[in-house]
Amino acid sequence: RSFSSQTDGEARVTRVLREKFPRASAIKVVDISGGCGAMYEIHIESEEFREKRTVQQHQMVNQALSEEIKTMHGLRIFTSTPK
Amino acid sequence: MSAALRAAWRVGAAAARGRAGRALSQAASESGGAEGGGGSGSREAVERLVRAHPVVVFMKGSPEQPLCGFSNAVVQILRLHGVEDYRAHDVLQDPDLRQGIKNYSNWPTIPQVYLNGEFVGGCDILLQMHQNGDLVEELKKLGIRSALLDAEKDQDKK
Repeated sequence: RSFSSQTDGEARVTRVLREKFPRASAIKVVDISGGCGAMYEIHIESEEFREKRTVQQHQMVNQALSEEIKTMHGLRIFTSTPK
Repeated sequence: MSAALRAAWRVGAAAARGRAGRALSQAASESGGAEGGGGSGSREAVERLVRAHPVVVFMKGSPEQPLCGFSNAVVQILRLHGVEDYRAHDVLQDPDLRQGIKNYSNWPTIPQVYLNGEFVGGCDILLQMHQNGDLVEELKKLGIRSALLDAEKDQDKK
């Protein structure tokens, strides 16, 4: 699926993540609810996650998206640090 | 993910999609009404639950009948490791607990897995721990020997 067909929701979530994680080297947001904006899968790679436990990394993403999460039914988060 | 796990996931996820969902808006709500007073969602009540057993899971449905693909995945992963003795709490049966557990862990989603009273994460984290071997180590710390260690031993023998 090409990036030009990103949904509004995906674009908004991506924008928020770029703002809150300025050192992120890769961000990918996919609406996995068929475009309904109900559930997202988030992949984010950033130096800001270095040395942090996975649950802490996920908490950082939760906090960053606390407003957006209010309207979601669920989200999946995959964090990583640059090699 | 194994084929069996993927299949179980699809069934659970499809069932969950068919149900009218509710938004996670209350995850961030301050006035959830589930705080204090000793109700089932109060900090004290949740604390008692997470400390009651080495492995405690807050999920949708039960281990016998999970009602969500992600909750089902947690149940299947624990089963793969031979962990059948654990406390499972169905948040769909208790709205106060459903909100209370989210407030307690400051985590917006269900399922939630607690090992030795400590919040470990949701289904994605448990899956990652299963795949990278961390789960076997964490279970060992609780005095639980993962069934996968015995499965490996059997393979070595062949």
